[in-house]
Amino acid sequence: MKIAMVNGSPKAGKSNSGILLAALEPLIAAGNELVSYRVNHKPLTPEQVQELCRVDALVLAFPLYIDAIPSQLLRMMVELEACRQQDHTKNIRVYALINNGFYEGRQNHLAVDILRNWCARCGFSFGMAIGQGAGEMLGSLEKVPIGHGPLKNLGKAMERLAFAILNGTGGETLYLQPNFPRIAWRLAAVHGFWHSAAKKNGLKKKDLLRRL
Amino acid sequence: MKLVVHDLAHEEYAAWFGESTADTEIIENDGGIRSCFGCFGCWVRTPGACVLKDGYQHMGEKLAACDELVLISRCVYGSYSPFVRNILERSISYLLPYFVKQNGETHHRNRYDHSFKLTVHFYGEAITDAERNTARELTAANAINLYAREVQVAFHNSPQASGEGWQ
Repeated sequence: MKIAMVNGSPKAGKSNSGILLAALEPLIAAGNELVSYRVNHKPLTPEQVQELCRVDALVLAFPLYIDAIPSQLLRMMVELEACRQQDHTKNIRVYALINNGFYEGRQNHLAVDILRNWCARCGFSFGMAIGQGAGEMLGSLEKVPIGHGPLKNLGKAMERLAFAILNGTGGETLYLQPNFPRIAWRLAAVHGFWHSAAKKNGLKKKDLLRRL
Repeated sequence: MKLVVHDLAHEEYAAWFGESTADTEIIENDGGIRSCFGCFGCWVRTPGACVLKDGYQHMGEKLAACDELVLISRCVYGSYSPFVRNILERSISYLLPYFVKQNGETHHRNRYDHSFKLTVHFYGEAITDAERNTARELTAANAINLYAREVQVAFHNSPQASGEGWQ
């Protein structure tokens, strides 16, 4: 089976979507051909879009942006729909790994609905999605194996996603929160991320509140 | 002030919606817009403005100055079109990075003590019921995250019909 692993993070370098795809890979690699794509500021070539029309499964990993799918990935989806109109022989299943910055994974549900609507337009079969809350934690927890500690829920969900991909089936969409309380996430974001990033940029806490 | 964001060609917009008036600002695709690349610079490097200097970096300020935000967009799978979405993504400096909890859900804190009316005109032939439902829900979710005081959504078969609904 040929599986396209599409990283739809707008970031240029390391991304949480990349971390999620890397965690999924060993669960589905045996006996299958995995091909990786990156859709950020640099769009896919027409040839790459055509390649996506010929796979057995598409795994899209991306962050939630303003309640939905990031614009550059949405643009690729439109191009793929156009390609699909010319080349619609393959039965393609679509799976998704979505992460959002807010604590509640449930907030990814509109991105899942948009993916379902896209699948209906393209004649793809929607398989299954995972919507992971507090996605920004993934970068700082790289040494924690998925399935352990704060990533316990994610580990179980990944196994179910891998099972669905390997068997060409669908599955219930899973919205996950990390295995730690909401307040811990809020404090980690403020002190571990926003304030330390501001300091590195020579800004004070009050500068972040600036009104223009 | 009314802020209009649309994904039509300049001439198409002018033909259907008329020339802009003094109290209307139009944001349209000049072909040079860059994509947000998730650097969070608009929060932690140049708070309130995007770091990409392509003419679209002041969206946060513009939202803070408008009484009504009008989005005119092709309905793409129940989402806005890539251009209109790009504009929204480039607008997050309107908010602060900090989290607040509202009705059991996390959202970003507002940077400005301000709210605007959000009006959305989706256009497209054969928009499905599922796409309409998604688009309505998406607009409602955006209204919460952007602190809009009121939200109105309309669907049209063509941009021309949007223009008529607009008058």
